[in-house]
Amino acid sequence: MEWLNPYHLQVASFMLINAILGVSIFITLSTGQLSLGNAGFMSIGAYAAALLSTQHQVPIPVGILAGSLLAGAVGILVGIPSLRLSGVYLAIATLGFGEVLRAVLINWESLTGGAVGVAAIPQMGRVILSMARDGGFSPESIGLRNNQFISLSVFLVLLLCTLLSAAFFLRLSRTRVGRAYTAIKLDESAAEAAGIPVTYYKVLAFSQGALLSGFAGALFAHTTSFVSPGDFTYHRAVEILVFAVFGGSEHLLGPVFGAAFLTLLPEALRAISEYRYILYGILLVLMMVFRPQGVIDPALLRRFRRSPKETAA
Amino acid sequence: MLEVRGVDTYYGNIRALKEVSIDVPGGSVVAIIGANGAGKSTLMKTIAGALPQRSGTVSFLGEMITGLASHEIVRRGVALVPEGRSILSRMTVRENLEMGAFTRRDGKKTARDMDRVMERFPVLKQRAGQLGGSLSGGEQQMLAIARALMSAPKLLLLDEPTLGLAPLVVADIFAIIREVNAAGTTLLLVEQNVKQAMKVSSYTYVMETGKIVLSGPSRELLQEPRIKASYLGKA
Repeated sequence: MEWLNPYHLQVASFMLINAILGVSIFITLSTGQLSLGNAGFMSIGAYAAALLSTQHQVPIPVGILAGSLLAGAVGILVGIPSLRLSGVYLAIATLGFGEVLRAVLINWESLTGGAVGVAAIPQMGRVILSMARDGGFSPESIGLRNNQFISLSVFLVLLLCTLLSAAFFLRLSRTRVGRAYTAIKLDESAAEAAGIPVTYYKVLAFSQGALLSGFAGALFAHTTSFVSPGDFTYHRAVEILVFAVFGGSEHLLGPVFGAAFLTLLPEALRAISEYRYILYGILLVLMMVFRPQGVIDPALLRRFRRSPKETAA
Repeated sequence: MLEVRGVDTYYGNIRALKEVSIDVPGGSVVAIIGANGAGKSTLMKTIAGALPQRSGTVSFLGEMITGLASHEIVRRGVALVPEGRSILSRMTVRENLEMGAFTRRDGKKTARDMDRVMERFPVLKQRAGQLGGSLSGGEQQMLAIARALMSAPKLLLLDEPTLGLAPLVVADIFAIIREVNAAGTTLLLVEQNVKQAMKVSSYTYVMETGKIVLSGPSRELLQEPRIKASYLGKA
C-alpha cells in the first residue's frame, strides 16, 4: 500500500472540493447569471461549519449541513435585490458582496478570530480514524499507515459528496426546473412570454449555487482544519469562474473538468516552479482564442456518446 | 373579454401610452394599427404584464390583472407572441412547444394539444427535432404562435406576426390567424400590414403617438378617407 501517497490524495481532495465549486458556478450560469459571489458563499459555509464545531462541539455532518443552508439562505437574501441586475453589473455587485463579507470576517474578531482565522477545526479524516479505532478497527489491519488512512477517508468522503452533488444537478437539468433555467438563459423575454416565473427561477438558481458553494466551503474547513479570510479573496472568486470558462459552461461536466484540471495543473508542473503560473496564463489565453466555449461543449459530449454505437454498427 | 381603461405606460420619463382604452370582446379578432413608435407594442407588453403601467386598469374576464406578473397572466389565459418572435433558438422545436405549456399541469390534455398543434403546423411536425434557430423566418413565426397556443390561451396577443416575412408567408400567417380564431381563441393583433389586418378583424383601433385616435368596426374604417390616405395608400 506504499503507493497510496497522502500528498497525492490531498491534491485529489482539493480537486474534488473545487469540482463542487465548479458545479455551483454552473448552476448560477445555467440561468445566464454571471456571479462572482461564490467565494463569499463558500466562506459563509466554511466559517459556519468551523465555528459550530470548534466553539459549540456540533458534530461535523450537522455543521456542514448548517453551513450549506446558511449560505443558501444568504443567497436568497442577496439574490432578490441583485438579480435586478444582469451581466457585468451583477458580476460587480456579487464581487462587492464577497469583499464586504471578507471585511466582516476580518473585523468581527470576537466571532471569527479576525485575520488570523479559525484554527484547530476537527479534521474529517482524523475524526473518522478515531471513530474507527473506537470501533475496534485499526488501519494497520488493511496495511495502511495512520496518515494514509486519514487522507484516504477524506478523499472518499469528498468523492461521495462530489458525485452526489453532480448527480443531483445533472438530474435537475433534465426536469421542469432545468428547462426553465435553459429557457431563461437563452432568452429571458421569451421565457417570460411562455409563462415562466423568471425572477423565481433566477433566485432559485442563485441560491442553489450559494448553497453548494457553502457546502464546498464547509467541506474545505473540515479538510484543511484551518480557515482564514485569505482563503476567500477576489482571487478565489475569479478562480471559480475560470473553472467554468476553461471547462465550458454549457454542460455540468465542463466546470467539473475545469476545476479538476486547473487544480491538478500547477501541482503537476511543480518541477518548473515559478514558471508554472506563466504556463497557466498562456493556456487560458490560448483557450480563449481557439476554444472560447470551453473544453467541454454539448457537441463534444454527443460525439463521445455516439462513437461507441458507430463502431458497433 | 379584455378591457383596458385609461392606461398610461412610461419608459423612464417618456410617456409612451396616454390614457389608452380598448375592448376586446370574446371570440373576436381586434386589430391595432399605427405607424412605428405609436405605442402598439408597448400596449401589448403592458397587457401581458411585461411592462408596468403607471395608471389605468386592465381586466380580463371580469378580473383585474393590472400589475400581475407575466406568468400569472399567462396562467389566466392570455398569451403574448412577442414582436421579433423570440423563439428559443438553441432548443428543439418540440422543446419550444413544451416550454409554451410550462404553466400547465394537466399532462394528458397538454399531450393532446401538442398533437393538435403538430397537426395544424405540419412544418413544425416535420422539424420537431431540429433546433428552433435553424428554421426560416416564417417557420419561426409559426413556432412562436404554436408555442403560445400550447398554453391553451383564451386570448392570444400577436405583436407584428408578419414583420419581415415574404408575401406568400404573410398570407399563410393570416390564414392561421383565421383558423385559430375559428377554433375559439380571441385575438388581439398588432399589424403594419393594415389592409390584411383590417380584413381579418371585426374591430380596429388606430394609434398615433401613444393615443387611440380612431376606432370603429373594421369594415367601416376601411372606407374612412383618413385611413385610406394614411395607411392604405389610396387618395
